[in-house]
This record gives sequence, structure tokens and C-alpha cells, in this order.
Amino acid sequence: MNVNYIWYFLTFLTLVSAIMVVVVRNPIHSVLYLILTFFCISAHYVLLNAQFLAAVNVIVYAGAIMVLFLFVIMFLNLREYTAESKTNLVKLGAAVLGGVLLVIIVAALRSMQIEPLNKATYNSQVGMVESLGKVLFRDYLLPFELITVLFFVAMVGAVMLGKRETGERNF
Amino acid sequence: MLSIISLSLFGILNLFLGFLKSRRVLLPATLLFIALAFAANLLDWNHQYVYFRDMLRTNNLFINFSSIILLTTFLTVAISRSFGTDEEHTHPAEYYAIMLFSVVGALMMVGFENLIMLFIGLEILSVSLYVLTGSDKRSLRSNEAALKYFLMGSFATGIFLFGIALVYGATGSFNLSAIGSYVSGGPTTGISPLLYVGLLFILAGMLFKVSAAPFHFWTPDVYDGAPTLFTAFMSTVVKTAGFAALYRLLTVSFTGVYGLWWQVLTGVTVLTLLVGNITAVYQSSVKRMLAYSSVSHAGYLLIAVAAKTPQSPSAILFYSLAYSIATITGFAVLILVAEQKPIEGRPDERYEAFNGLAKRNPLLAFSLAVSMVSLAGIPLTAGFWGKFFVFSTAVDRGMTNMGMVLVVAVLMSVVGVYYYFRVIIASYLKTGDSEPIGIRPLYRFILVLTTALTIGLGLFPDVVRQLF
Repeated sequence: MNVNYIWYFLTFLTLVSAIMVVVVRNPIHSVLYLILTFFCISAHYVLLNAQFLAAVNVIVYAGAIMVLFLFVIMFLNLREYTAESKTNLVKLGAAVLGGVLLVIIVAALRSMQIEPLNKATYNSQVGMVESLGKVLFRDYLLPFELITVLFFVAMVGAVMLGKRETGERNF
Repeated sequence: MLSIISLSLFGILNLFLGFLKSRRVLLPATLLFIALAFAANLLDWNHQYVYFRDMLRTNNLFINFSSIILLTTFLTVAISRSFGTDEEHTHPAEYYAIMLFSVVGALMMVGFENLIMLFIGLEILSVSLYVLTGSDKRSLRSNEAALKYFLMGSFATGIFLFGIALVYGATGSFNLSAIGSYVSGGPTTGISPLLYVGLLFILAGMLFKVSAAPFHFWTPDVYDGAPTLFTAFMSTVVKTAGFAALYRLLTVSFTGVYGLWWQVLTGVTVLTLLVGNITAVYQSSVKRMLAYSSVSHAGYLLIAVAAKTPQSPSAILFYSLAYSIATITGFAVLILVAEQKPIEGRPDERYEAFNGLAKRNPLLAFSLAVSMVSLAGIPLTAGFWGKFFVFSTAVDRGMTNMGMVLVVAVLMSVVGVYYYFRVIIASYLKTGDSEPIGIRPLYRFILVLTTALTIGLGLFPDVVRQLF
């Protein structure tokens, strides 16, 4: 089977599930559609020869983060999504802005020229852990080390804000 | 580079100091750490280094910007007292550590040579500030501000990251000079349209972080809700680092498409100046007024970026220095005055709280007056020269391009005089309580120092200009 058909099918599925995330009213269904979207995007990664990224995307996003999402939603017991009170002016403004952004991106993509792949020099191992590790620990060593500061701040902040204290509002 | 490493280590050390029984050691220790980082930073003066395969570049410009950031952090930490009276339930060690870590992010934003470094620096700074904004856990306003800042900030970060991805898609590189040579060298097929979209998204993300209109809507609420100390920190360090990053990114990478981003930036500048200054007039709380004033100062700084002359970096440096010092003085006085007579447990930040301040404590009133005069840009203060240098970059660029911006900027400076002088009039001409306000020695020292710096830089701007 031609790989193009797989691509069309996947893209169709991604778009439909992504739109459903926004459209459905039940938050739990919304999260489930989001998981489907992440799986479709992972499949796209595989088609793009980025196997490691695909695996990480499934494990981290579709696995860990979405479970957390579901957990929080069930915890908060949000059954129905209550309609938000936005004025028509805000809705119109948002629609115009979003439409302009869409036009800009579509126009940019349409006039873009992509150079065809050179089959003789293409390295098929580019998406594997080995080449990723080489780039990460050689070229991007400093950002890799400094991102620990970011995680550390997030951790310290979460502990600090999450700690229950006297005189504080607990829901 | 040494300052980044040392600050990361000092932050961890600070957390360990939190285990000590006595909280007294924390403040002097943090001040010492910042001073050490400042000294380590100066070691590289007149040297050019590139670290870790083009990830970080240190030169005199880097040292100047990071010195301003470290100086403002030092002043902010020095005016922090105890983070609330409740000794048992506050976490000063964590706050100080997060402040040190956020400076690491700010320094990365100043010296980045790679867009990944810029992104990580921006994230470290932002995440630290989300936490610091919400650090007053008992106050609903603080919680609301933190959540609002977090949601809007992460959305802006997403747009910024998307922009970086598009620029990578167009140029095939995260490296600033590689992008720069792609843009100005001009590939045979012409510049990919993805680059323009990417540049637009990156600009939107950066302008959000420095709170320029129309991305400023979070600023008043967040600055108002956050504890005043961290408002002072946010409105100075983030501005300096953000403008250093914006200038560096636009001049090194995107000089070739100046005609494109110049138009966007001048539009944003005019809007920021109008919105910031005119809205500040209608505020009844001094803290909210200072929040809108920080929006308007982002507008003045944007003029120097949009003008892009060889004098721009030194104009941005001088303006950030003058603005940071004056803003910290203003907030320091606000902290003291507002907590004198709380309304319903909250500090009183209205203009009326300043009534008769000159009689209650002449030093507070005088330093407040000097800082407001400096923010308004009246001669003999640092703020005047800041505005002067910024406006002269615009004049250098040419009146046909920047004429409109200059007219708006001068008019809005006049509007600024009105709301800054309202505070001075309240403290000198109106009568209020006569109960004197006491200040601790370190606080007094910092106020005297910042006031002296503001006046000193106003009289002898060349002392610092030679370094920039």
C-alpha cells in the first residue's frame, strides 16, 4: 500500500479528533479525544522517521500527563461544561484573530518549497536514540544541564505552594 | 558563565541554609551570594568567550546587562524583610533560592547564542515568577494573580516555542549567527515564508513577557496581586532581561528583514505608550499605577529596539538602569507606607495612604519624590538621560521613520508627569496622619543608595556611559 494513503488517513484522524477535543461538552470525552490526537501525532512521528520521539510522546503525553488530566477532572467532578459568558464582541474578535492567523500560516505553507530528499546521502538512523544522544550530550550539553535548574524551580515551587498551612484556604 | 554556575550552586546552598534554626543568616547570605556572582561576572571584562559549542557568548554587553540584573536583584533582596510576620509558616529560604534561580534564567536570556538557550532561560525566569507571584498563599488576590499569570504565560510560551520551531524549519538551525547569515545572505530560493510567520510568533511571545501592548492585559492584575516585593522584582529584572534578549535576537538574527519587524515594533511601541500612560492616569491605587507605568516604560525601551542604531544597546542599558533603580525605590517606599494602616487586612495602596508622608518620614518622602521625578524623566535625574538617549536613537534613525513615534513618546512623557506627581503632591502638600514611620538601618541605607544613584546618574551620566 502506498504510504501516502496512511498519511492521509492519519491526518484526517488527527484533525477530526483535535476538533472533537474542542467541540465535545463532556470534559472526560475531551481528554480521551486528546489522547487519540497524541497517538495520531506519534504515528506521524514514525512516518517522519523519528521513532524515539514517537515512543516518548506516547509514554509521556498520552500516558503520564493525560492520566493526570483525567484524574484531576474526575477528582473535581466536572460533569457538564457550563457555557461561558463571553460577549459577542469578544467572540467576534477571537474569530477574526484566529482566522487571520490561519490565513497567515496557510499562505506561508502554500508558498513554501521543500527540497526533495536525497536518497543516497540520507541517514536512516537519524531518529534513533543513538544519534539523539550524541547531539544532546555533545552539542546541547549546556542547555541539557541548565534545564535541571528549571525542573528544580518547578519542584521547589510545587512543594512550597502545595504545602498545607494553618490559616490558609483549603478548598 | 561563572556567574551562571555560581548562582545555580548558591541557590541550592540557600535551600540548605533553610534547615538552620535561625532565619537571620539567610538575608546576609543571599546578599553575599549575589555580590559574589556580581564579582565573578566582572572577571570576564574585556574578554570575548563562547561556551559549549556556541551556546553562550559573554562580552562586555553581556556583563553590562547582567550587572544591572544582579544589582537590581541585590537591591530587591535587601529590601525584603521577613516575608510576613508569621515566622513559622513562611519559607524565606525557598523564596531567596527561587530568586537566585530566576536570575540564572535572566542571565541565560542576556547571553544566549542559541534559541534553545533563550527558551530555557525564559522558562526558568517565568516559572520562578509564577511561583513567587503566588507566594502569598493566604491572599486570594495573590492566588488569582499567580493562576492568571501561569495560564497566560504558558500560552505565550507555547506561541514563542512554535515560532522557534517555524524559524528552525525555515533556516535549519537554532544558532543565532546561522539564522542571521540565512536571513541576510539570502538563499537562492529566497527567504522561506515560514521564517516570517516564525518571527511574528517569536515577537508575540517576547512582547508578552516584557508586557507591551496589546499583550499587556495580564500586567496590572498580576503586578497588583503579587506581593509588592516580587512586583518590584518582576517589573525590573524581567524588563531588563527581556529587552536584552529581544534586542540581541532582532539585531543578530533578523537584521536582514529589518523592514518587516520595524513596522510591527513601531506599531506596538505607539500602542504601548498610549495604553500604558493613559490608563495609568485613571488608577486610584499606587501599585496599579506603577504597574501601568511599567507598561509605558516598556514602550520607551521599545523605541530604542525599533530604532536599531549602534547607540541602541547603550541607550537600552542606561534606560534599564535608571528605570530599575527608580522603580525599586518607588516600590520600597510603597511597601513601608502601605503596611502602616491596612484595610481589611490588606495593605492600603491608594494614593491617600501617602498623604502627609513628608511629615511622617522625610527620607521616605524625599526618595519617593526623586524616584517619581526620575520615572517622569525630569532633568537632573537618571530618568531624564534615559529618555534622552532613547529618543536620540530614534532621531538618528531619521524623522521619516520614527517621527510619529517620537511625537507620541514626548506627549506621553507629559502625561506621565501628571500621574507621577500625584504621589509627590499627596506626600508633600496634603495632610494626613502624623504618626512617624520607622525604618530599619539596611532599608534606610538602600533608600539613600538608590536615591543617590538616581541623582548621581542624572548629574554625571558619562560615568556609566563610558562603560556601556
